[in-house]
Amino acid sequence: MATLPSGLPEIVADEEELVRFLTQSNRFNSIMAKPAAFLPNPKFRNTSVFRIIPDPELIRLAWQQNKVGEGSLKAAAACTAIEVRKTGLDVLPEEPPSRHANLEGWPWLDGDADLQRAKQLEIAQGIAQKSKLVAVTAP
Amino acid sequence: MRDAVTAVVDHAEQSQALFGGKATAISNLKTMAKECSTPDWDGEGTVPVNPIAVLLAENFVRALPDDLPLPEFAPEPDGSVTLDWIPSQHRLFSISVSSSDRLAYAWLDGSDKGHAVARFDGSRVPARIIEGIKEIMDHGNSTLRPA
Repeated sequence: MATLPSGLPEIVADEEELVRFLTQSNRFNSIMAKPAAFLPNPKFRNTSVFRIIPDPELIRLAWQQNKVGEGSLKAAAACTAIEVRKTGLDVLPEEPPSRHANLEGWPWLDGDADLQRAKQLEIAQGIAQKSKLVAVTAP
Repeated sequence: MRDAVTAVVDHAEQSQALFGGKATAISNLKTMAKECSTPDWDGEGTVPVNPIAVLLAENFVRALPDDLPLPEFAPEPDGSVTLDWIPSQHRLFSISVSSSDRLAYAWLDGSDKGHAVARFDGSRVPARIIEGIKEIMDHGNSTLRPA
């Protein structure tokens, strides 16, 4: 199988762990990462994740190497690729940055933005339900 | 007479408690909106929280029946605001408030899930949404919290 610049395979395996950086404290609570944490960026129509083991130290390292802007890392959400795929989305790699991937396949309805958001919210709930919240302490 | 006075005082205290709860929720909403008010606030090119969405979310909170629990808030990448009721990781009710007068919402109750859209006139919460929140929050009746 072909590999990416990071050395990871081009195809994201179902059992691979995915980590989503959480940079705003309202995107999670004491129980879980909230659905809004997984909603797609309207510009790129996808959700950015990293293919790393959900270990706090590794997450912090990946954040420091890839962060953009002045925000700080508050926590992270982790789930496996299969849980994302069960919602109807797919996980496709996009490097650089190293180990980066996107959740793709979100519904976009040009004629009804409100229904589109409802559909996306249901999918985001499905991912949030299966995700693990990872506490990441500041360096 | 004494009973009547006691009832009035109880009612006033209850109203104060309820108003206080909503005031705190609205304060939390505004704090979040302020934190997410600049372009690209999360480094992913996201849109600032829409002030109209914040206003509508505030109206929604004020319009919630007093016996319903209050939501948590979260910023969305497109500038909308999510209102979440989260009794557990497997039971969720979420409403997406944008600048539109239509509310997008979704629910998850174990393997049961769904989504819909309902119109919000700014002062009366759609009955379907009230029922949906109650169903998620009352399930098992163990996690219901006062407003």
